[in-house]
Amino acid sequence: MKPIHHLSAIELRDAFFRGELSAVQIAESFLARMKIHDPKIGAFLSTLGPRALMKAEILDKKRAHNQPLGKMAAIPVAIKDNMHIAGELTTCGSNFLKNYKAPFNATAVHLMEEEDALLIGKTNLDEFAMGSSNENSAFFPVNNPWDLKCVPGGSSGGSSAAVAARMALIATGSDTGGSIRQPASFCGVVGYKPTYGRVSRYGLVSFGSSLDQIGPFAATVADAALTMEVIGRHCEHDATSLDLPQEAYPLSPKLETDATFGVPWHFLENLSPEIRANFEHSIEVMKSLGAKIVEIDLDVLKYSIAVYYILATAEASTNLARFDGIRYGLRSQNAKTLEEIYEQSRKEGFGREVKKRIMLGTYVLSAGYQDAFYKKAQKVRTLIIDAFDNAFNKCDAVMMPVTTSGAFEHGAFQDPLQMYLQDIFTVPANLAGLPGISVPSGFDSRGMPLGVQFLGPQMCDVSLMQYAYAYEQASKHTRIPRHYE
Amino acid sequence: MANFDHQTLEYLKKLCRIECTEEESLDIEANLTRVLEYIEQLKEVNTDNTKTCRYVLRGMQRNRMREDEVKEILPREQFLANAPDQIGGMIRVPPVLKSSS
Repeated sequence: MKPIHHLSAIELRDAFFRGELSAVQIAESFLARMKIHDPKIGAFLSTLGPRALMKAEILDKKRAHNQPLGKMAAIPVAIKDNMHIAGELTTCGSNFLKNYKAPFNATAVHLMEEEDALLIGKTNLDEFAMGSSNENSAFFPVNNPWDLKCVPGGSSGGSSAAVAARMALIATGSDTGGSIRQPASFCGVVGYKPTYGRVSRYGLVSFGSSLDQIGPFAATVADAALTMEVIGRHCEHDATSLDLPQEAYPLSPKLETDATFGVPWHFLENLSPEIRANFEHSIEVMKSLGAKIVEIDLDVLKYSIAVYYILATAEASTNLARFDGIRYGLRSQNAKTLEEIYEQSRKEGFGREVKKRIMLGTYVLSAGYQDAFYKKAQKVRTLIIDAFDNAFNKCDAVMMPVTTSGAFEHGAFQDPLQMYLQDIFTVPANLAGLPGISVPSGFDSRGMPLGVQFLGPQMCDVSLMQYAYAYEQASKHTRIPRHYE
Repeated sequence: MANFDHQTLEYLKKLCRIECTEEESLDIEANLTRVLEYIEQLKEVNTDNTKTCRYVLRGMQRNRMREDEVKEILPREQFLANAPDQIGGMIRVPPVLKSSS
């Protein structure tokens, strides 16, 4: 048999079902991998060893007594540290919440636990999920398992690195402007952002409420699909949660005969030669499966970054107003008056990027500027949604690269605006509420992973997953980084 | 339209209730000036006949609210476990109202 960590989550679960592996053996094996590898990677902010082992013992007993076992039984799962596991820390990578213990479970966490997943740790992130490199974590940066000099992407960089180094087989992320798909691409794993509202945001610390979605990282598309079957459910605690039945995700290596994919070539005209060649190769893979490729017009997406940084910061400025030093989180020891509690706690608790985004969001919402910025951005957002609607009249899904390059080195971007601009291919899906998936598509000349992105119409999560699966089975670019084999 | 300067930043700090170090302030001012210059490009987009986006999902034009019912969701002790300061089962804050005498 292959080493445990070479199995996919589904293979591992099935080996457990068949009695070839015990849950305790699985938990111990992954906890040991975390102990060996994580000091160099920095993917985890906390480990849940005793909790995982206790759950594993229960699962082994259930199996011994032939009791029913869940769909995610004995699968080691890591949770991004902006989602609640009751009784455990939720730091959001911020000094403000360094000691905050979650009083309840996030719905996605609860659903996976119900299906017998083993929660093994909380993963590192950019503070409050604001960043594209994980360099904004208040605690320590995450290193990319493919090359420790490089960033893993962000903001869910701890989750992508944890799966890439096979310290967990599934990890959750949250995607506000690409925070699942971009780190998945940088780390050579699958990253799925569902249709807005498909997964409940209850228990996820809010960043941009009209943009945020929880989704999985996994080594394979089938594992991501399994996770979606479990967490893609209506939840009464989230008013934006879709009131639709749970979906099954049947996967086939073949495409339907008339499957059509749209490529916005004009919008993509400035791709670097390396990214273009990799992307063209992905298109050839789809053609070899019988896909029809058509050109579509998505030129309006060039305004995505401008729209995003107005709307995301506006929403963040209101969402983060709750961190006032009164009810939970940090309260400055230097503060004497109520005003000082607000100002000093936020001064000491928030990092620079978070302060900057709160201020920008406040600015675009302030008197005199709201029409020029916030309302204008909401109108251009409508144009972006319309452009995708038109595109989906011509095709079943859109194909694009995920990123403008492979993972960059730590400190490569000194100008934050330049880093923001790198998110040009991921932000549109959030603005339009679309499901999107990043699948490994090969490597750049440095040997760093690249990804291809498929975007589907709203609510078409199931068909989108199917296209990604067919691509994955035909292209077979998934690897484990050499040092972690 | 954007005219971002030191004074604007000081005003924003008050609105946001955020203090910054001197070095942070300089950096944030420079950064936000650049970002605002960048987002001004939206001016070139014609939106005369475009509606403001209120709901992202085409099939959902309003939030689905549950009934507003009183339920025992979070016991007081559990909530207070995260409070920075408490007294008698409540959160303690510095005096807000000054004594009139």
